[in-house]
Formats: sequence, structure tokens, C-alpha cells
Amino acid sequence: MALSLSQSIVVGLADFWSRKVRSLITIFGIILGIMSIIVVLALVNGVKEMSMEWMMQSGGLSKINIRGNWEYEDRKADKSLSLKQVNYIKDVCPEAVAFNPQSNIWAKLSYGSKKEQQLIVGAYPDYQIAETWTTQQGRFITDTDIRNKSNVIVLGTTIKKSLFGNEDAIGKLVGMNGKKYQVVGVMKYRYMKNRWASEGQSDNAMEWKNKNSFIPLSTMLIKEKADDRIWDFSVTASSPETSVELKEKISNIILNFKRGKPLMRVTSNYEESNQSDDNFKMMTMIFFLVAAISLLVGGIVIMNIMLATIQERTREIGVRLSVGARRFDIFLQFLIQTVIITTIGGILGVVFGLSILELVGKFLQMKAVASEQMVLTAILVSVGIGLIFGIFPAVRASNLDPVEALRYE
Amino acid sequence: MDIIKTISLTKDYNMGKVTVNALKGLDFSIKKGEFVAIMGPSGSGKSTLMHILGCLDTPTNGEYHLDDTQVSKFKKRELAAIRNDKIGFIFQTFNLLPHLNVLKNVELPLMYAGLSARKRKKIALEVLDSVGLGDRTKHKPGELSGGQRQRVAIARAIVNNPAIILADEPTGNLDSQSGGDILEIFNTLHSQGHTVVMVTHDRLVAEKADRIITIKDGLIENGTLT
Ligand SMILES: Nc1ncnc2c1ncn2[C@@H]1O[C@H](COP(=O)(O)OP(=O)(O)O)[C@@H](O)[C@H]1O
Ligand SMILES: [Mg+2]
Repeated sequence: MALSLSQSIVVGLADFWSRKVRSLITIFGIILGIMSIIVVLALVNGVKEMSMEWMMQSGGLSKINIRGNWEYEDRKADKSLSLKQVNYIKDVCPEAVAFNPQSNIWAKLSYGSKKEQQLIVGAYPDYQIAETWTTQQGRFITDTDIRNKSNVIVLGTTIKKSLFGNEDAIGKLVGMNGKKYQVVGVMKYRYMKNRWASEGQSDNAMEWKNKNSFIPLSTMLIKEKADDRIWDFSVTASSPETSVELKEKISNIILNFKRGKPLMRVTSNYEESNQSDDNFKMMTMIFFLVAAISLLVGGIVIMNIMLATIQERTREIGVRLSVGARRFDIFLQFLIQTVIITTIGGILGVVFGLSILELVGKFLQMKAVASEQMVLTAILVSVGIGLIFGIFPAVRASNLDPVEALRYE
Repeated sequence: MDIIKTISLTKDYNMGKVTVNALKGLDFSIKKGEFVAIMGPSGSGKSTLMHILGCLDTPTNGEYHLDDTQVSKFKKRELAAIRNDKIGFIFQTFNLLPHLNVLKNVELPLMYAGLSARKRKKIALEVLDSVGLGDRTKHKPGELSGGQRQRVAIARAIVNNPAIILADEPTGNLDSQSGGDILEIFNTLHSQGHTVVMVTHDRLVAEKADRIITIKDGLIENGTLT
């Protein structure tokens, strides 16, 4: 019976321990390689997750955005749609889930002695679907409001707070541009962590939304603006996949409105996130190539050191053979030793990598997402490197002739 | 019953253009339980013969029967099992592993034989006791005298209860006092029924054996009984 695997591991560990310094120097390359894999993967994952979070905050992957194309050279050309055109699109696109044309003004809201200059959004009821944002109290703008061009207003939490404090706002009248608007609802508090917030700045990246107030789009266009131009318009498809087709359709309709001139930009969140996914894939690929090369170099270094080790231990191999070690025992001894070295390197790489991520997280305010799967992969990779680069030295060791090996000085 | 039998055993070393005929056709046999000394001048082929008898090397031609098995037909890799099972080899230079302690050195053949750690330790301790080193088990070889080291090597050689014990100049590196101790151990082993084959330069040492085989220039000169 040959040496069992567990015995080989014990022998390998003893070998590692009896040559601590050399073993540590040997695995330096592997430590660095694995460490950088962990760090970069976690950062890439973090950025991905952050951009996904942002995407979800801005209406999700099914959303299609229609805006003026400010890159188009003709400055005077009309880069907006009329309400009629928007409604036409709505009529011919029944497959869409939500239509969200907006028209905004800056206006001063007043209640009693309190005054607040903020952005007022003229919106359709669909705004709630398109932005996945609803009221926490009262109601949002309804179809009846649109039809009646009612003077109703829905307040963001921050503006509600600064006008009313803790007082109930529902049913109260606020003043705007000399007209009275009745408060019918208060929006939910909107929050996304702002990692780069400086001292005294809000840590809520969505705080500006909490300062918005909403009135019916019809009221906005007719009573406040006296024109029917829509500068900001989004459509929500039933799914991210169908949004691509819908985007094409809307894009063609608008191109027709504009007589073939690309005055408007129609984009889909889905395609843009795919685009940035592709960029990430590219980055990840390039990075993996670099990591693979560094691990390859690390592997070759280990292979050479193992070859030197075997040379040095020729006599020991001769002794082992003379007392009955089989070639396979010798092969296993050195293969496992290499694997132990690279695995310890991998584990140290993971540990250092995770520590670096913690520092990066603290000081750079970067989101880093290190998954268990990543850690496992990193360790498997280091085991694999040991197996691959350990084979040649192990074969060389096991092919030694006992007598020759014993004569080696 | 012959435990060792050779027929026209030869060994050539190919050194590029020249071939060294280290063994030129040896015919001899050794009985079970015999204590045989091999003598001869330096370079006469004693070690070469011992390596073949110890299954560390294979003959170029001829036959070698060990315990009724013709091992000269075996491939090199098949010899490992026989080494582990049937042979205890003792070298002039001890050949202990310096980074293992005495106990682990002695356990080595048992480890390759696949014994459990507990059994290995038990047997190795017994054998170390029998060579008078029961109190040195945790020492590294470097911390022992030459005589003690050779006793560890003997313990390692006999721990597997081999069919033959082969010793190539076991006292060559020792002072006469420790050399005497080693010979005492071989005598004891012999009296316990072990087969012992020992290479030596010392006629006084050789005369303790049942028989002396003298080798000169790769040939047997005589096989006198003492
Ligand atoms: N590996 C080898 N390669 C070439 N020649 C060898 C080798 N081993 C031994 N020899 C030669 O074979 C002859 C016998 O050597 P050896 O068996 O070591 O003699 P002894 O042990 O009797 O001193 C010597 O001439 C020696 O030089
Ligand atoms: Mg010799």
C-alpha cells in the first residue's frame, strides 16, 4: 500500500513548516496575484452594483428616455415634443406600461409665512409607475386632475417639512405664482446612500427628489406656462427585453415628427446598462489577462524553486526510495507540497485582498462586493496553479534513480 | 534454503565511450539465517553488488533470486515494493533524514508500508528500545554521535522485519568502540535468525561472520567458511 493522501499532506505540511522563509518567498507571486484578483473583482462588482442601484433609482431597466439631442448642431431647431405628439405616441403604443411626460418650472411655494423656491413638476399619474415612487400620505395626481386641470399639488417630504413642519399638510392650500393649490398628497421619502458626501452634505444622493412637488401636467402647461412643449418624456415598457423594440418604434415616430432630423435622443436604460456591462466585461477580461499572466509567472517561479528544492533534496529522495517509497509516493509528496504552498499563498492572498478592500472601503468610499464564490474561486485557482506547476518537478523527483540519488552530494 | 541466489550476475556502467564492468559474473548463494561478510579492495564492486542485492539497482545480465522470486526480471519501479517488504539497508553514511527526529526516521519504512500512525509509533519505539535508543526518540540525527546514528539506521532497517539485512561498510565511519557496538547488534540480529550480509574492510570484523565472500575486480575470489 502506498502513502495515503492524508499522510502525503502531513508530510507536505511538515516540509512547508521546516522551510518557512523559503516557502513564503516562493508564494509571494501567488499572494500578489490572488490578492489583486480579489481586490479588482470586488471593486468591479461594487461599481456594477452601484450603477445597478442607480439604474433602479432612475426607473429601472424597462425605461425609455426621450430628450432633446443637444449634440445636434442646429441650435434653433425645436428639440421638444408637443403634448399632442406625446399623446399620439401614447395612442399608438398600447403595449407600453407607463407614459411619463414632464414639464417643470422653478417656483416659490408659500404657506403662511413660510416660503420655498423649488422645482415644480407637471406630471401624469403614470409618473408613479415610471419612477416607481408613490405617496406615503394622501394621493398622487389622477386622471380627473388632468382632465379638470385642477389646482392640486403633491409635496416631496423635504418641502412638506419646510412649509408645514410636523403639521398635517393634506387639504391645506399653498400659494404659487399668485394661485392657490390644494395639497392632496405627500411623497414617500426617497433615499440612496451617497458614498462621496463631504462634511455637512446630505448622505442622500436622492435628496433633490424629496424637494420636488407635483402638479397635474395639464395644469402646468395651461395655467403656469401657456405652451404645450414637453422637454422631458419617458415611456416604460412591460419588460427590459421589450423596451428595445419599443424604443425603436418610438424613435421612428419621433424622427417622422421631426422630418428625419435627429433632434431628439431616445435611449433605453436596458441597452445602456448592457453597454456598461460590456465595458465591464472588457475591463474584467483585460484584468483577468493581466492576472493570468502574473499567476503564470508566479507558477513558473514556483516550478523553478521546486526544481531547485528537489535538486537540493536529491539525497533525501534517495533515502526515501531506499526504504520503500514508491515513485508515486515521491511524486505525490512533491506535488502536494507545491499545492500546499500555492494554496497557502492563495489563502494569504485572499486575506490580504479582503483587508485591502476594507481599507479601500473606508478611505475611498468605494463599494466593494466580495462574494464567497470569489474567495472560493481564488483558492481553487491557487490549488490549480499548484497542480499544474507542481507536476513537472514532482515527475522529475519521482524519476530519480535510487542509487544515483544516494550518491548525490 | 537459499534466500539469495545469483547466477552469472553482471553489472556494466556505460560511461559514454568506455564501459566499466563493475561485476563480471557472480555465482553465489546465501542461506536463510546466514551471516555473510563481503570483503574486497576498494573499487572491486562490493557496493554495486549490495545495491543489486538490495533491489536499489538492477543487474545488466544474469539472474538474482531473492526469497525464491527472480527479481532481476522486475522493472525498477516494481522493486520499490520489494525494498519495502524484504530488505533492510544500512549505509556507511547512515543516510538519515536530518529534519526528521529519530522516531520519524525509524517510522519511515512503516509509513510507506501503509501502517497507521499509532502502529508505526508503537513498533518504532520497540525497535529503538532494542538498539538502546529508547531515550533519544525526539532527537534530530544531528544531535547524535556517529554510533547512535548508525543504530538509528539499523532500527530503520529492521523495523519492517525484512527478509535480509544488507549493510555496506556500516562501521566504516565509526571509531572502534562504536563499531564494536554495531557489530554486537548484528550478532544479536543474526542470533535471532535474521539473514545478514555485511561489507567490511576489517578482517577481524569479517571473521565474526559465518562466511566471507571475497570480491576482486568484479569477480568472486573465494567463499571460505570461517
Ligand atoms: N554509478 C556508477 N557509474 C559508473 N561507474 C561506477 C558507478 N558506480 C560504481 N562504478 C564503478 O564500478 C566499480 C565498482 O564500484 P563499487 O561497487 O562502488 O566498489 P566498492 O564498493 O567495492 O568500492 C568502480 O570501478 C566504480 O568506479
Ligand atoms: Mg563501496
